[in-house]
Amino acid sequence: MFEHVRAFHQPRTISEAIRLLNHRDGVACLVAGGTDLALRAGRTVTDLVDVTHLGLAYIKRDGRAIRIGATTTMSAIEQSSFIQHMANGILAHAAASCGSAQTRNLATLGGNLANASPAADTATPLLVLDADVVLQGLRAKRRLPLTEFFTGPHKTAANASLLVELVIPGPEPRTAWSFQKFGRTEVDISIVNVAAGIKLDRANRVTFARIALGAVAPRPIRAHGAEFLLEGRVLDQHLLDAVSEEAAQEIDPIDDVRASAAYRRELTQVLVRRALLECAARLERAL
Amino acid sequence: MKRSGRNSTPSMQLSLRVNGEAREWTIAPGDLLLDVLRREGYYGVKRGCETGECGACTILLDGKPVNSCMIFAAQAEDREITTVEGVAHGDQLHPVQQSLVDHGGVQCGFCTPGIVLSSKAYLEEHPNASEDEIRTALSGHLCRCTGYSKPVEAVLAAEHAATRKPSHAAHSHDIVGHNEPKVDAVKFVTGRPAFTDDIHIPGMLYGKILPSPHAHARIRSIDVSKARALPGVHAVLTYKDVPRVPHTTAGQAWPEPSPYDTYLLDSKVRFVGDRVAAVAAESREIAEEALRRIQVEYEVLPPVLDMEHASDPGVPVIHDEKDSTGIHDARHNVASVIHKQIGDVEQGFRDSDLIFENEYRTPRQHHCSLEPHITITWLDEDKRLVIRTSTQIPFHVRRQVGMILQIPVQRIHVIKPRIGGGFGGKQEMLLEDICGALTLATNRPVKMEYTRHEEFFMARSRHAQVLRVKMGFRKDGTILANHMSVLASTGAYGSHSSTVQGNTGSKVLPLYRAPHLKFDCDIVYTNTPVSGAFRGYGCPQGFFAQESLIDEVAEKLRLDPIELRLKNLIRQGDTDELSAQLGEGRKGLPRLIRSCGMDECLARGAAAIGWKQKRSARRDKKSPFQHGIGVACSMQGSSIAGIDWGSATVTLNEDGSYRVHTGCADVGAGADTVLSQIAAETLGVTLDKITLLSGDTDYTPFDVGAYASSTTIISGGAVKKAAEKARASFLEVAAPLMKVPVEKLTCRNNLVIDLDDERHTMPIAEVARHATYKAKVQIIESASHFITDSPPPFCATFAEVEVDTETGKVRVLHLVNAVDCGVALNPNLAEGQVEGAAAQGIGYALHENMQLDENGRMLNANFLDYKILSSKDMPKLTTILVPTEEPLGPYGAKSIGEIAINNPGPAIANAIYHAIGIRFRQLPIRSEDVLRAIHERESAAQPNFAEVSKSL
Repeated sequence: MFEHVRAFHQPRTISEAIRLLNHRDGVACLVAGGTDLALRAGRTVTDLVDVTHLGLAYIKRDGRAIRIGATTTMSAIEQSSFIQHMANGILAHAAASCGSAQTRNLATLGGNLANASPAADTATPLLVLDADVVLQGLRAKRRLPLTEFFTGPHKTAANASLLVELVIPGPEPRTAWSFQKFGRTEVDISIVNVAAGIKLDRANRVTFARIALGAVAPRPIRAHGAEFLLEGRVLDQHLLDAVSEEAAQEIDPIDDVRASAAYRRELTQVLVRRALLECAARLERAL
Repeated sequence: MKRSGRNSTPSMQLSLRVNGEAREWTIAPGDLLLDVLRREGYYGVKRGCETGECGACTILLDGKPVNSCMIFAAQAEDREITTVEGVAHGDQLHPVQQSLVDHGGVQCGFCTPGIVLSSKAYLEEHPNASEDEIRTALSGHLCRCTGYSKPVEAVLAAEHAATRKPSHAAHSHDIVGHNEPKVDAVKFVTGRPAFTDDIHIPGMLYGKILPSPHAHARIRSIDVSKARALPGVHAVLTYKDVPRVPHTTAGQAWPEPSPYDTYLLDSKVRFVGDRVAAVAAESREIAEEALRRIQVEYEVLPPVLDMEHASDPGVPVIHDEKDSTGIHDARHNVASVIHKQIGDVEQGFRDSDLIFENEYRTPRQHHCSLEPHITITWLDEDKRLVIRTSTQIPFHVRRQVGMILQIPVQRIHVIKPRIGGGFGGKQEMLLEDICGALTLATNRPVKMEYTRHEEFFMARSRHAQVLRVKMGFRKDGTILANHMSVLASTGAYGSHSSTVQGNTGSKVLPLYRAPHLKFDCDIVYTNTPVSGAFRGYGCPQGFFAQESLIDEVAEKLRLDPIELRLKNLIRQGDTDELSAQLGEGRKGLPRLIRSCGMDECLARGAAAIGWKQKRSARRDKKSPFQHGIGVACSMQGSSIAGIDWGSATVTLNEDGSYRVHTGCADVGAGADTVLSQIAAETLGVTLDKITLLSGDTDYTPFDVGAYASSTTIISGGAVKKAAEKARASFLEVAAPLMKVPVEKLTCRNNLVIDLDDERHTMPIAEVARHATYKAKVQIIESASHFITDSPPPFCATFAEVEVDTETGKVRVLHLVNAVDCGVALNPNLAEGQVEGAAAQGIGYALHENMQLDENGRMLNANFLDYKILSSKDMPKLTTILVPTEEPLGPYGAKSIGEIAINNPGPAIANAIYHAIGIRFRQLPIRSEDVLRAIHERESAAQPNFAEVSKSL
């Protein structure tokens, strides 16, 4: 499959990796976990650049923020007690739903995002957590909100730079979070996935709202309209109906072999509702 | 890591540790670890899908399970790798391995190495893991044989160091009826090289087929010069280079009832994936490059994709060639038709008080054996063609390849090694002919294998059917007439076309006594992937229709579904006359029911699922989660009456052990074990004294192969007969030695015993030595066996489901199978057959469907989008073996291999109806379909029943 590869590079520094990736002679391809890459017949690839030796596998706290290195594996995220306890563990939950154990032992968070599948499981939790990506270019480092990182199916704003880190600002305190995934079977790509986070005041009025939707648009998206509907209103059954319907209007799903667009729209509505209900339950509020 | 530039292909050095030993290998920088490990002889690392879905290639990388197909070899630099070969300490198995052997956690053994490694790694980190955690940890290992119950049970037991499960009941026999571990299990858990691909022959070429990109086209011109010119290419074959011999690929006894409509290579292609050309080259990469260089000009013809319009006026003719034979009506794309009747159904309907009729649809299902089709051919030192192949039918392959390549059967040697699952998909001569042709063209060994992608549409699948069932009843629920009309698509070729569909009638309709039975069937060609044999062989379709309709009728008649069935079920002493009408493409033989445990199956199954309580349980109508239970019944056969036959030879060794040679083909289900048990029991020796060699056309006697649920009853019957003869000959030698008349002697537990004085014994080994060196006589006996009936096993299945009415998702919570397979010769293996079939049946009910686009291309030809169930998806399985004694079977046995696949479809559909009141008459019942139906019901009261009403 990769029969024209002439060299497998294992750079030890980020600058060396970036230099190799941008080398003009031949076609270089980045390798992290390899779980998406190995599926593609890389018949044009001449150089493989392994980025797993750059010291980018870490989960660390930085004040209230959390920094996750791009080559941290899904297993490491799923098993990190810190991530398990952050934001009701939605990122750990999403990482744990990403393929089989064998896949998660190789697949990296950076890979899941940089591959930019609209169905990427970790994208929606990171979107509701207002995560930023850190991109290292040949000369400069940029920090970009994750919302701006995804530009289309399997397309990102990374260009010539390397995704090196995810930064999650400290989650809003007293906020409840939920991750919902619908697959055909237990180990499956998302047909739809939803992440949500809300904060309620004493009167059950929503003071903070985040909803993100996966596998229902060319890229993982925030449901801004639905969030807007929530803000400042009392969370009740009526509002749940309105918000989940609004979310289902914000998407642009496709028909494919896995599900029809219409079904994805219905699932979006159900999962948004269930996510918000789970958040409310986590806040011990009855609706 | 250094790069070396010794030759034109770039290479590099890789240092790593494998199973504790330092290794230094030269690799290409783009090599995947799976390929390198297999190249270096770690054959326990299996190639199952190459897309990270199946887990067969799992290794431990620094102690953690990963798929070696998803990682570049270069990434393993300085890492520690464990393969299954490194798990045992010498002959001392790891507890997980031992437990898998002891608990029947192994069937074909192809997924086993991965399961061993993941379990070992998980238990080391989680010593007190729960069943649920183990199921999650193993959910990346697809297994198509076991239904996961026994592997999971084994891993749990390994954790708790539990001992082997005792046999079910007290036994009158020493060996049959006991849970003996599979005789080949140890080699599977240790990853010994046992499968077709687990050898390397110097000079072996890689063969590859150019598949048609069009569903229907004529090859106007084909230019292979650029492919032939590519260095490393040794042969390129097109239809111009090979003999044109019409044949069928169906592995059936000669003369095959399937039409002769297939050619080694042809100038016309009839489905996406049909053979255009074949190449043999020095590597897979070169072979693939050669395919890209073949220039084909096609005259693209309109494809016939919809079976319901395949015979419409003006539709293109798929088989317009002159030389095919056995096609019923090629001009209208009709491969075969069946019209059979017992009594007069029209009279039956006139006599009926109530008539019910409905239409049902079933999808194309793929076998998904974890080992795709693979064949290696070479010429031996006498220039005979050797075919090492993953097949269920070694002797049919020999005959078919001989015919197609025009070489005498005598010049062909077929070897069946261990097989990584068959399920009917390998009851087909599929790669052997073309691989053999490439060997003949190159004088070189050639390996051909399907990738997982190719396997889906270039191999075979279950026939899709549209079934109409019409049943006439008396007011009290007695069935008077049953008329089933079927339309089936056989795909581009007619392999197994008339016989699979014949079975839809002959095995399904007679389940219920009725004076008037009629079966009509049209089997049409379409430009779609070819259908063929698949476990159940036409029955899952038929029972889905019949058992759904019975359930609908029970509701109309306000009868309990079990009661309605009991009122009409076939019973011991009945004769099934329809089977006499519907033989294998010719007249068959009537079936006399000599054993039938169906009542007990229903009673015990109902108790296990809690039928009475759950059918009448009050439900919370407001909850989005609704529960329901359903039932279905079925029967199968044991062999094809009067056609299937097998033979065996039993030979005494000088040490008192025996060699048993049988032509039958163990495909992973445990035939070699059960036949060894029969031999040991009959010969009076312990199981370890039997060495069984099977499925080799040079060294074993004839057997039709592993299909039609025939192995235990037919091959087992042959082994029993041969063993009885060998025992008699043996005792002739023993009698003078012991000075006891022959009729006063018996053999048991490796001893010859004087029946009048049981303390007077002589070791069988001593007699054997005497026979060999003193008497100078070889104890060797052969026997052939066939029967003129096909005793049916019976099965009652109960499903409990939960329907999420907001998403449409159906979860099966519990599946109970109560099966009468006569005397279970190895209860653990028998249960494994039921559980594996149940998993395939649940998949068929809810997920599995080969989806084609409007050009006939398969859209979901991979394990990501063709969903087979994982350990995490499986419900609780309860398997009940209901013992009966079948007079025609060895030691009272009937078959068990197929039957349990028939019922999950209707039992689940009936349970869904019980849960939400919506009847699904099409499989699979996907979440999306369920939700749509719920919405449709909300928007309009749907007419739920097409009833031809008659006044009561």
